[in-house]
Amino acid sequence: MKCDWVRQNILFYVYSELEDDARYEVEQHLARCPECAVELKATRKFHATLSDMPVADPSPNLLAASRMRLQEALETTRPGAFWQRLILEPALWLRQVRLAPALAAAIFIVGFGGGIATTYNYVGRDGGAVTTGSIVPTGGTPSVGGTVDSSAITGIRSVTQEPGSNQVTIKYDTISTQEKQGSLNDQEIQKLLLFAARNNYNSGVRMDSVDVLTQTPSDTRVREALMYALQNDTNPGVRLKALDGLSGFVKQDPQVRDGVLRALLSDSNSGVRMQALRLVEPMKADSNVRAVLTKLAETDQNVSIRSQARAMLAQVPEMD
Amino acid sequence: MPADSFAVAIPVGEISRHRRAEQDSGNRNPTVRGSLAAQGNRIDDTSLIREAQQGNRAAFEVLVRHYDQSVLRLALHLTGSESDAQDVYQEAFLKAYKNLGSFRFECSFYTWIYRIVTNLCLDHLRKRNVRKEDAPVAIDASGEEYSRIEQFADARAGANPERDLMRRELGRKIGVALEALTPRERMVFELKHYHGLKLRTVGEMLNTTEETAKNTLFRATQKLRAALAEMR
Repeated sequence: MKCDWVRQNILFYVYSELEDDARYEVEQHLARCPECAVELKATRKFHATLSDMPVADPSPNLLAASRMRLQEALETTRPGAFWQRLILEPALWLRQVRLAPALAAAIFIVGFGGGIATTYNYVGRDGGAVTTGSIVPTGGTPSVGGTVDSSAITGIRSVTQEPGSNQVTIKYDTISTQEKQGSLNDQEIQKLLLFAARNNYNSGVRMDSVDVLTQTPSDTRVREALMYALQNDTNPGVRLKALDGLSGFVKQDPQVRDGVLRALLSDSNSGVRMQALRLVEPMKADSNVRAVLTKLAETDQNVSIRSQARAMLAQVPEMD
Repeated sequence: MPADSFAVAIPVGEISRHRRAEQDSGNRNPTVRGSLAAQGNRIDDTSLIREAQQGNRAAFEVLVRHYDQSVLRLALHLTGSESDAQDVYQEAFLKAYKNLGSFRFECSFYTWIYRIVTNLCLDHLRKRNVRKEDAPVAIDASGEEYSRIEQFADARAGANPERDLMRRELGRKIGVALEALTPRERMVFELKHYHGLKLRTVGEMLNTTEETAKNTLFRATQKLRAALAEMR
């Protein structure tokens, strides 16, 4: 009987989860019962085996990307208000009522009034209806929808470009879904595209917006957005598109070159690394590029990238 | 903000106390990492939470930084996928932000945020069990497939290849055994063994009693021991 009890508690003894008196009893029993001592040994071995396989910490890149994504989402999110808590948690509300009737009544009135006032404001401001905005393509003057307030955007639904023109239609959500149409050069359209490239959770929409943005890479803001997508986008297709858009600037813009080199060293997708390798090929004499190529030739997981890097290095004349 | 400023996470509140308790008992779990026990951070947390409740987003972001590394570590280990872990991270902190008004200091903020995270992870594990795409293959952030089980194996590369191979093999076995647990058993085992939490806290996080958490841990370890013994 005692042995049964001890064996059921050996695990908690090993995990330091026993109260002092129970721990004392277990220790006393283990000192004189060899069978239970064997069980203790086995449990300790099991514990040590599992502890020998530590949980890896998330990589600094993953943590940084997660923080950035959260920060962007927080910009468009509002914290829960006090009155919402009363509406969302009826159990709490009822407890308050039972424990403190006067306080509960006051909270009820404040909550009810706050709720009505907020609803009134909400309906008054937006009418609860879908608003459609459009921009005159040539002049770029906003009409029905007014200007785009990026802090009110909750997400971008779709980005479509009319074939053969620079006209873009963007559907985006505020409280309700809205739509904007206009020229690629339009400030509002660009603002939405930049927002979509960084913020949207739908990789198809990010892909579309990065694709449209690659048509005007000379704008520094666009270039920044493309660099951001190259470094942080989780979808390799989007990163490839961003790389395409940046291809013309690898030579002239050192920041772009550094970004591409970073991708070459750290991008997890071999297709993206391969494309980055193609982009830096004309600059293989550059010392930074050469250093990265040397590292790639030794350490890249992909055989083809390793051999290509070696071949490129072989073509560079030694400077020293 | 430069990426290197994210490198140090300061464990605060409950977890620091747990770690101190484990050290005191002389039975420290070697897998529980980070030893910057920051005394007095609970007080800082309280004022941060109050400021965040009044709508100060910067205060909330500081709070996030206190806890997000361990949240991401838990999510990563449980989901086995970087993109899923990122989704859990994002959803958990957004949920916390939206519901911050309902935090009433009845438990520590650490327990509260972990309650949200564990619920999301449990949902994720349940969905994965239902989908039965149980092949231990996951998709990483770049969309490439990798073995979920491998994550237990890569941890420490040494100079001895034979030993590395054995470690990898053992890691693979542990991965398979952990995958076979029920979501709840997996969660309790994870929080106790790899995060070194007290079962009382685990119970609070999972909205259950310490006794139930104890029973679940017992069942989980029985299953793991049986599975690992069979595979030897």
